Amino acid sequence: MKPVPDQDQLYFEAAEAFGPALQRLARATEANDERRRDLLQDMHVALWRSFARFDGRCSLRTWVYRVAHNTAATHVDRERRTRRDTVDIDAAGELAGADSLARQLEERDGVNRLNAWIRRLKPPDRQVITLYLEDLGADAIAEITGFTPGAVATRISRLKTQLAKDFKETTHV
Amino acid sequence: MSERDPLQSLWIHQQQENFKVTTAQLRQHATRFQSKIRTRNRIEYAAAALVIGVFAWMIAIIPEPMVRAGAGLIILGALYVCWKLHTLAGAADAGGLDHAASLADFHRSELLRQRMALAAVWKWYLAPFVPGMLVFIGAVAFTPELDAPLIARVTLFATTAAPIAAVFGLVAWLNARAVKALDKEIKALEEAG
Repeated sequence: MKPVPDQDQLYFEAAEAFGPALQRLARATEANDERRRDLLQDMHVALWRSFARFDGRCSLRTWVYRVAHNTAATHVDRERRTRRDTVDIDAAGELAGADSLARQLEERDGVNRLNAWIRRLKPPDRQVITLYLEDLGADAIAEITGFTPGAVATRISRLKTQLAKDFKETTHV
Repeated sequence: MSERDPLQSLWIHQQQENFKVTTAQLRQHATRFQSKIRTRNRIEYAAAALVIGVFAWMIAIIPEPMVRAGAGLIILGALYVCWKLHTLAGAADAGGLDHAASLADFHRSELLRQRMALAAVWKWYLAPFVPGMLVFIGAVAFTPELDAPLIARVTLFATTAAPIAAVFGLVAWLNARAVKALDKEIKALEEAG
């Protein structure tokens, strides 16, 4: 692939500013260490490739989050189709009961529990909550996801309530 | 001043791994990705070449005109599939999915792409072989060289055609089921926005 002017520079800027956010997203998407590193690498490759066509239609931040989340969604979809040993991601949200509770209790620290909880969400919920945790407002999340700001705010509120409930249950058991 | 949600603090202060990737590695990965697609296409072309070779050989050794016509039609079907593969691979290279689209648009495009691919498989991957197969099987079953009553010929034709028809029917059923699931996902995505 022939690099266009600024492609490398744009990539380095983005990797410098959003590298940690990409790592957090990879951790919230893939539990397996090896596959998580592959996913992180895929995100960086997708980002670098995307800058060959960077057209300024949105801010650098929006661009980076869109590319990273779309790569993560593709990864989840591929894993769902190719790995029979994993739980169907759509069904996973419904399974966040007794089984997941036991697994959550096994997690020692809050970050691991939070990541495990996020991984069990359906893709749109996972995208919205990770963007919220990155401290983005409803308008910014709406621009990235394509949902309306109202729908985003409602979803965040519902997810926070669910999160608080699930964590409270975990700590009280 | 608004306070940050404790969960956001927990999230932001996660331990980071030392992850660096050079542009040389990025280029290498991008090239590897393209090469994987090229390899996949080469395997498809090789399979088509095998089909063409086998049926060309049959044309050369079998004198029966209708059997040769059937083999010829199967070769034409394989050539058509190769041509479609070539044009579709070119279109995928030129367009591809827009990773910088909003998540909802990207997801919708991906679902629609899968839906179209399912419909296309039936049209350009299986259907082109149908006329050739029917003529070929029919010619073998009803050849004057075969000394058998009509009922035996019909039975031969039906028992050869039935498994093929069953495979085609299974593909159609699986496609219809997958399309239904995709439609459900597309609808859920539209309602979520």
